[in-house]
Amino acid sequence: MHKVSLMSALDPEVAGQLAEDLPPDVFRTIISTFEDDLSRLAHELAEAAQAGDQEGYERAAHSLAGAAAAVGATGLEREARIAMDHRQPEAPAVVLPRLLVEAEAALRALHALIN
Amino acid sequence: MPAPIPAARVLLVEDTPTQAEIAKAMLRDFGHDMRHAETAGAALEIAQEWQPDAILVDLVLPDFSGMELMRRLKAQGVNAACIVLTAHGSVNTAVEAMREGATDFLLKPYAAARLRVTLENALEKRALRQALDTAQTVLRRDHFHGFIGASPAMQAVYRTIESVAGSKATVFISGESGTGKEVAAEALHQASPRRAKAFIALNCGAIPRDLLESEIFGHVKGAFTGATENRIGAARAADGGTLFLDEIGEMPAEMQVKLLRFVQTGQVTPVGGTRAEKVDVRLVCATNRDILAEVQAGRFREDLYYRLYVVPVVLPPLRARGEDVPLIARHLLAAYSREEGKGFTGFDDEAEAAITTYPWPGNVRQLQNVLRNAVVLHAGGTVTRAMLPGLLLHGLLLQGAPSSAPAAAASKPVGPSPIEPLVVSERRLILAALEHTGQDVLRAAALLDVNPSTLYRKLTAWKKEG
Repeated sequence: MHKVSLMSALDPEVAGQLAEDLPPDVFRTIISTFEDDLSRLAHELAEAAQAGDQEGYERAAHSLAGAAAAVGATGLEREARIAMDHRQPEAPAVVLPRLLVEAEAALRALHALIN
Repeated sequence: MPAPIPAARVLLVEDTPTQAEIAKAMLRDFGHDMRHAETAGAALEIAQEWQPDAILVDLVLPDFSGMELMRRLKAQGVNAACIVLTAHGSVNTAVEAMREGATDFLLKPYAAARLRVTLENALEKRALRQALDTAQTVLRRDHFHGFIGASPAMQAVYRTIESVAGSKATVFISGESGTGKEVAAEALHQASPRRAKAFIALNCGAIPRDLLESEIFGHVKGAFTGATENRIGAARAADGGTLFLDEIGEMPAEMQVKLLRFVQTGQVTPVGGTRAEKVDVRLVCATNRDILAEVQAGRFREDLYYRLYVVPVVLPPLRARGEDVPLIARHLLAAYSREEGKGFTGFDDEAEAAITTYPWPGNVRQLQNVLRNAVVLHAGGTVTRAMLPGLLLHGLLLQGAPSSAPAAAASKPVGPSPIEPLVVSERRLILAALEHTGQDVLRAAALLDVNPSTLYRKLTAWKKEG
């Protein structure tokens, strides 16, 4: 089982800077937007993988990598970049579960940062 | 805390909501007016309609790439500073982005401070570029309202007119006859906030002295013999606009007193009337005389001089305008050719040389007359030297007095004198004759009505002088 600690899920420099740059209510809104992105993009990834839609899969992975990078979710970004690289040997069935674990860990870490 | 940067219009082109929300929050915090497009197509539409100062462009977009977006923005004439947002910090990406017109690029994720500095630099660079473009446009103007000319002397005139146009200050235009004093007065009016109101021009030298007061201030019915109707006068006709008094140096002394009172009070009393009326007029005066000399000679009131000579505009004679001469000549030839239905296309080398080297004592007005004459009398094609009047070919000595001769007799004209040392004129005439005859000394001597040996002697002497 792939396990991620709260601390390693986030790049403290990026996430900490964001928390510092933005007022708390704005930071909360951004976490909420990130959650929406995660939910939508994970769904798009799974659907594209199931349909064998490589282009859709890579596009969703690219967006997910971008969203993750924006909040400093480094682990999630790494997994998303693996998914968006069409040369990588790992099948979606292998990458996706790992990606979801990273997503959950990133969210927990971000919420911890707010509180 | 960094100093606030001036509010700008910033368009964010970003399709990932998380990234967009972060950028939007930062931009709002900077105080910018901000819009957001999720696709390149939407960005093109917004940019066209909104004309942003800066555009933050994500490279990967759902419809087409950020690079392609910058290409299309450029093609549409959108003049915004583009900053590329990229997750890949490769040199190739940066180089390609710059090649497509990006001002800078920003590596994602970015902190607010980095975005702020990058944006500030891009906006500053854009402002500098715009200021430079404006300055270059202003410095290289080859026309200004009714003027044609790109010479440094005329650029200075354009700048003065522009600077003073917005004010109500009285402008005093001086320059030789034919230099465009009325054109300058009209340019002042057109460049001013008064442009929607009347521009009234009055030539003080052309109006009989008994009628001048009535022409300027109007009269009431029965004020004098022949005053069968009320007449509004130039000052009231120009209310809210500009009153141009040309040849002010010709104004009789008794009229100068009345003009002084008008300038001091802004009130007009028509001839035969009793009630003064306030008018809002911007006064522009002109003369081809040396007005200060007129004051010193007691012919022009000193107090009026100081009231009128607030902002001087000195129009250079055509001979001091260098490359403006062929520029104006080409412009006039095209205009007259069009008006007269002739197909003139330009000047041959000899004609252009003659036009360029002639000193034009009558200034632009003389050039206009010469070219009108050439167009009217000839069928079209290229203007040759044979189509130009002889005086252009034989130099200053044959040209006669300047067209402002009567005024010049009364006082010294403004600007450098057209008279030059005899030896200089002689040399120019001889060289012109030689050029005209294809360096044929015998024919040149015949044209000049001198013995060929005189020419040989002169040429030998000049050669020795180097």
